[in-house]
Amino acid sequence: MHFGVAGIGGNSGGFHRYPKRISLAVVCGMFLLMTACAPTRQRNPNEIIFWSSNNPYEIEFARIIVAEWNRRHPQSPVRYQPVPEGQSSEEVILAAVVGRTTPDVYANMWQGDVEAFARAGVLVPLDTLPGFLDVMYQRCDSSVIQEATSQDGHIYQVPWKINPIMMLYNVRLFQAIGMERPPATYSEFLSAAEKMKADTDGDGYVDRWIGYLNVNVTWWKRLFDFYPLYLAASHGAPLVQGERVVFNNRAARRVFRFLRKLYAGNYLPRDPMEGRQDPFLTGQVATQFTGPWAVSYLEKFKPEGFQYQFAPVPVPDDHQGPIFTYGDPKNIVIFNTSPNPRLAWKFVRFMIEKENDRRFLEMTDQLPRRKNLFRDPYFQTYFRNNPRMIPFARQARYVRGTDGCPVLKEVFDAISQQFEAGVIYGVVPVEVALEMAARRVRLIL
Amino acid sequence: MRISQHWRGYGFVAPYVIHFLLFVAFPVAFSLVLVFHRWNIIAPMEFVGLGNFYRLARDTLFFRSLGNTLMFLLIHIPLQIVVALFFAELLNRRLHGRGFFRAAFFLPVIVSGVVVTILWQRLFSFDSGLLNRLLIALGLGKVGWLVDPDLAMPSIALMATWKNVGLYIVLFLVGLQSVPSHLYEAAELEGASAWQKFRHITLPMINPTVFLVVVLSTIGGFSLFIEPYILTGGGPLNRTLSAVLYIYKEGFFFYHMGYAATLGFFFALVIMLVVVLQKRVVERNVTL
Repeated sequence: MHFGVAGIGGNSGGFHRYPKRISLAVVCGMFLLMTACAPTRQRNPNEIIFWSSNNPYEIEFARIIVAEWNRRHPQSPVRYQPVPEGQSSEEVILAAVVGRTTPDVYANMWQGDVEAFARAGVLVPLDTLPGFLDVMYQRCDSSVIQEATSQDGHIYQVPWKINPIMMLYNVRLFQAIGMERPPATYSEFLSAAEKMKADTDGDGYVDRWIGYLNVNVTWWKRLFDFYPLYLAASHGAPLVQGERVVFNNRAARRVFRFLRKLYAGNYLPRDPMEGRQDPFLTGQVATQFTGPWAVSYLEKFKPEGFQYQFAPVPVPDDHQGPIFTYGDPKNIVIFNTSPNPRLAWKFVRFMIEKENDRRFLEMTDQLPRRKNLFRDPYFQTYFRNNPRMIPFARQARYVRGTDGCPVLKEVFDAISQQFEAGVIYGVVPVEVALEMAARRVRLIL
Repeated sequence: MRISQHWRGYGFVAPYVIHFLLFVAFPVAFSLVLVFHRWNIIAPMEFVGLGNFYRLARDTLFFRSLGNTLMFLLIHIPLQIVVALFFAELLNRRLHGRGFFRAAFFLPVIVSGVVVTILWQRLFSFDSGLLNRLLIALGLGKVGWLVDPDLAMPSIALMATWKNVGLYIVLFLVGLQSVPSHLYEAAELEGASAWQKFRHITLPMINPTVFLVVVLSTIGGFSLFIEPYILTGGGPLNRTLSAVLYIYKEGFFFYHMGYAATLGFFFALVIMLVVVLQKRVVERNVTL
C-alpha cells in the first residue's frame, strides 16, 4: 500500500491537477463516442425501415413483399432487415428504444409487451392515422379490436398473426390404451393419464406419462399450460382488467385442481425434460400443449409409422360452448422515431393485404389474424394442401391474446410461483395458492 | 508540464483508466442514482426517494434468496476447503503422473460454467440421470437431486465444488510448498505424528492461504448465478433462488432497474460485512 502512495505523493499539487484534465478528456471522449453512436444522420422521410422476425421463413417473406413494395413505390423505398441478434428480440427492441434507433415498422411484437411500450410513449397510436380503423374493422372482429385496444383507448398495434396452442397427441399411444379419440374433458384426461402411466423398462419408476408441463417457474412457461387451460375453462376470460385482478375465479381454481390431480397421481413428471431426446417423439409422453410450429418439426423428425393429431385443450366436464385457447399473437407496431408514420402505415396496410396474408400463410405456416380465415375461399387452397393446419384454422376463431397490462410478466410470474407451490408440489391448497398470487398482483397493480 | 514529461506513463495506464471509468466507475455511479429512482429503461426515470429501500425491507423473497445463498456457502466453503486441502496434500507428495493429476483437477476451472452446468444437469436428472441410474444399478432408490426442494441447493453446492476445487488445490499447493521443511524435520525429531504435524505446523503455516480461499470462495459463492439459472431457474419452491439470480430477474425480467440496483448495493454491503467478519475470525498472524 505505502509504496503506491509514496510514488505519486511527491508533488501533491500536480497530482490533483492533472487527473482533472484526464477526467475531462475521458468525459469528452465518452461524449464523442456516444454522439458517434447516436443516429445523427437526418432520416429521409420518404424511406421506411422495417424489421422483421429473424425466423428464416419470415425473412424470406419480408424480402418478397419489400421487393414488391419497392417496385410499386420507388419514390418511398423500404429497407428491411431481421431484428438484430440478441438474447431475445425483446431485449433488442428495448435497446433500440433507449438508443432511439428503432425502425419505423416492427413486425413481431408480442402483444403482451405493447402496453408497456405504449405507456412509455414510444409507439404511434395507429387509430389516429387515416384509414386505420376501416382496415381494422374489415380485418378483425370486435373482440380482437377490443383486445388490441390499450388502456388509454388508443390502438398501438395491428393484429397480425397467431399460433393457437392446442393439444398434440400420439394417436398410437391412445389406441394402445383403448382410446380412439383424445381426451376432451378433465375426467377423460385423468382416466387416460392413469392408463398411460407405465414403467416400460421395469426399473420400478414411471417412464411413460400422459404429458409434460415445463416445471420451470419462468413466467412465460405458463403461457403454454395454465393460460390456455384457463382460457378454455373460462370461455376466454381475462386475467386482469385495468387495475383489477380477475383470475382468482372458479375457472382458475378448476384448472389448478385438475393439474394438481395430475401431479398428485404422478401422471406428470416433475423432472425437467428439456435437453434430452424429444420425449413426445420417443413415446415417453402422449400429449403436449403446443402450436402449429410443431408440424414442420414433427414431419421432419418423426420416426417411421409415428402418428399424431391435434385437438383442443381439455376442459371441465360440464363445459358448454366453444373452447378458447391462447393464440400467441404477434403484432405490427410503428415506433414514434418514424419521420413519416403515415407512410409507414401505408406500408403496413400493404403488408397485411389479403394477397400478402395468403403469401405469409403459405410461406410460414403461421395464421394471419383475420376473421373467417378458414371459411374464406381465398385461403381454401392452402388448407386443402396443408390438412395438418386445419385444426389450427378452426381453432383460430376462438383464441385470445393477452390482457393490456403494463406489468403482465409480473402477473404471470405471480401465477407461476403459486403454480409451482400449489400444483406441482402441492405444499399449499390450490385455493390458497391462487389467492396468494392474486394478492401479489394486487400489490403490483 | 508533468503530463508532457510522463505521457508515456499516462499512456500505459490509459487503457485501464478508460476501462475503469467506463465499466466500473460509471456503472457504479449510475447504479447509485438508480437506487433512488424507478426506471424501466423505456420510460423516463421517476424519483422515489427511499421507496426502493422500503420495498426491500418488505421483500420476503429477497431475504429467502439471501438465506438460500448463505445455505449454499455453508455447504460449499467447508466442502471446498476440505476437498481442496486433501487433494493438495496428495498432489504435494511424490507420485507418478503428478503433473497429469494437477492438470486434470484444474481442468473444470477453465471449462465454461454453462458447459459444466449442462453436464451436471444430465448427471442429476431424476429419470434419466447417470447418478440415479448408478443408484438403481446398485439396488438403491432414485434421488431427486434437483427436484427435491431439500436437496436441490446441496446438489448445486456439490457441483460448484467440483467445478472450482481445482483453483483452490493450486492455491493450497502453493501454500504447502511454502512451509519450511525444517519445521517438519524438527517435529519429527520430537516424535510428532503425521496428524500433529498437520495440525500444529501445516495448518497454522497455510493460514493466509486458508483465509484467501475462504474469502475467494465466499465472494464466488455469493455471486452464485449460472448454476441455479440453468439447472433449476431458482426452483423448486424458490429453494435455489440465489440473491444474484433474484437481482437479475428483477432487473432483466421485469425491468425494475432502480429496485435491482438497490438490491445490488444492499447485497454488496452484506458481502462486505461477511468478509470483514471472516477476516476477524479466520486470519491470524503467523510469526516464526
